[in-house]
Amino acid sequence: MGLEKLKTVLKNERTSKSLELKTPIIGASGTYGYNSEFEDFIDLNCFGAISTKGITIEKRLGNDGDRIFEVQNGLINRIGLENVGINAFIKEKLPVLRQKNIDFLLNIAGSTIDDYEKLAIIAQENDIKALEVNVSCPNVKQGCLEFGLNPNSLFELTRKIRRNYDGFLIVKLSPNTSDIKALATAVEQGGADCISAINTLRGLGIKIDYVGNKFLKKTVQGGLSGTCIKPVALYMVNQIRQAVKIPIIAMGGISKLDDLFEFILAGADAFQIGTANFIYPSICSNLAFELNDFMTKNNFKDFEHLKGAIINE
Amino acid sequence: MKSKNYIGKIKLIEKINHDVYKLDIQSSLNDCKSGQFVSVLCPNKTLRRPFSICDFDKENKILTILIKLKGEGTKYLSSLKEGDEINFIAPLGNCFEFFKDKNALLVGAGIGIAPMLFLKKEMNERNINNYLISGFKADEEVIEGSDETIVGGSVLDNIEKIIKEKNIDVIYSCGPIIVLKMLSQIAKKLNIPCYVAMERVMACSIGVCRGCIIKLVRDNKIDNFSVCKDGPVFKGEEVLWD
Repeated sequence: MGLEKLKTVLKNERTSKSLELKTPIIGASGTYGYNSEFEDFIDLNCFGAISTKGITIEKRLGNDGDRIFEVQNGLINRIGLENVGINAFIKEKLPVLRQKNIDFLLNIAGSTIDDYEKLAIIAQENDIKALEVNVSCPNVKQGCLEFGLNPNSLFELTRKIRRNYDGFLIVKLSPNTSDIKALATAVEQGGADCISAINTLRGLGIKIDYVGNKFLKKTVQGGLSGTCIKPVALYMVNQIRQAVKIPIIAMGGISKLDDLFEFILAGADAFQIGTANFIYPSICSNLAFELNDFMTKNNFKDFEHLKGAIINE
Repeated sequence: MKSKNYIGKIKLIEKINHDVYKLDIQSSLNDCKSGQFVSVLCPNKTLRRPFSICDFDKENKILTILIKLKGEGTKYLSSLKEGDEINFIAPLGNCFEFFKDKNALLVGAGIGIAPMLFLKKEMNERNINNYLISGFKADEEVIEGSDETIVGGSVLDNIEKIIKEKNIDVIYSCGPIIVLKMLSQIAKKLNIPCYVAMERVMACSIGVCRGCIIKLVRDNKIDNFSVCKDGPVFKGEEVLWD
């Protein structure tokens, strides 16, 4: 493939736990399916990993009604964590990931600390290399958002997952807070190896049509994603970088090569691509190739050197 | 057949009524079936826009879609000129099922006629008896190509009579959800299978985002199905309409 330059190692220096990625580009949870859904559009060897759809203990059907609302340069979703549940994931989805040799982060979500512990134990038992903990889904009424916004409960949650899981532990942070540094610190102290950020922002979409002397109204409240959230994501990643030493997987509106550079300067060690997959289904591998071409043309030996150059020059 | 991202060229763009444009797109796409759709990039919008395939000319690899003006995305597409490039993913979704010896009734309501025209063509090529009835709100909205066109009233007004007169064994339809629902109920009452092509707002168009979910009752269980990947064609009797 010739993407050796892009090999990325995310390493928690304190514990020496690390995660090796073929490239620093990861398909974000909820936009990449469970395993090989994108194989018609990309070479599965040409990107770092996929983060699976958020998995809960039980199967979930998600929210009724409209789930998608398009806004200027973005998208509001209220899927509501629809997923097959951990048992079906282990039985039906995991074998495909393994058989096709797809690197992945298992994204998990729960409504109680107990749920997260159980999911961590199952991940441990099934030798899953990396776990991404969703503590911040804005689309479910109970559960993860409450943990995600309080540093004390987030610390406790991270610690309990850590006790049950030896692999590479990533906690995904919510931007819907006034103090992201406190959340990041809590996660690091709780024993996480890495932070991914940001999850979607809370948003409200409203559409009003005036038809036949009447206002027809539609409102959709959910998580906002897409290029419109990039400045918020850059700010949050930068704040997290100032607060912690563990690596950061950055996401929020990434759709082109320049965005990767900007996130590196803000503090990113790897990237996730979300909403852009819906528009350009090949984007995860295309960005890897573009990054590789840039590095080859400009004599950057590897991704670490590129990062160093962007940060220090 | 695998879905792929194609860059096509507009061979023809033609305004066919007061707010519908016909687009002929030439690309390397070499096959598709009626019921399937394409997802077109609108550079001025976040999301792609899905369109039913209205025709496909295999020899010249020309795909036809009908675009009804609804908002900024469709407005952009209607402004394209012959020779312009167009980025689309195709073919997407499942397709209509054929029955060799059955008399088929095709019902297109409004812009829902688009996949029915392609289905009719495919049935004609297979010598399957078919009758296409379409309905439009007003004269300026009519799209040609049906065996019977109803303007003003509902396309369903005389449907039971037509089903009996023409010895219909199977029904296919596309259009507003209320039409599909009522037609499915009529078909159920008469014990005739009815296939409906559904429409929902879509984000990914390939089944991963779960944005375009409908509920079906299958094997006595209610479950989610995506319109983009599991559909857009469903058995009307399986759809949980409310």
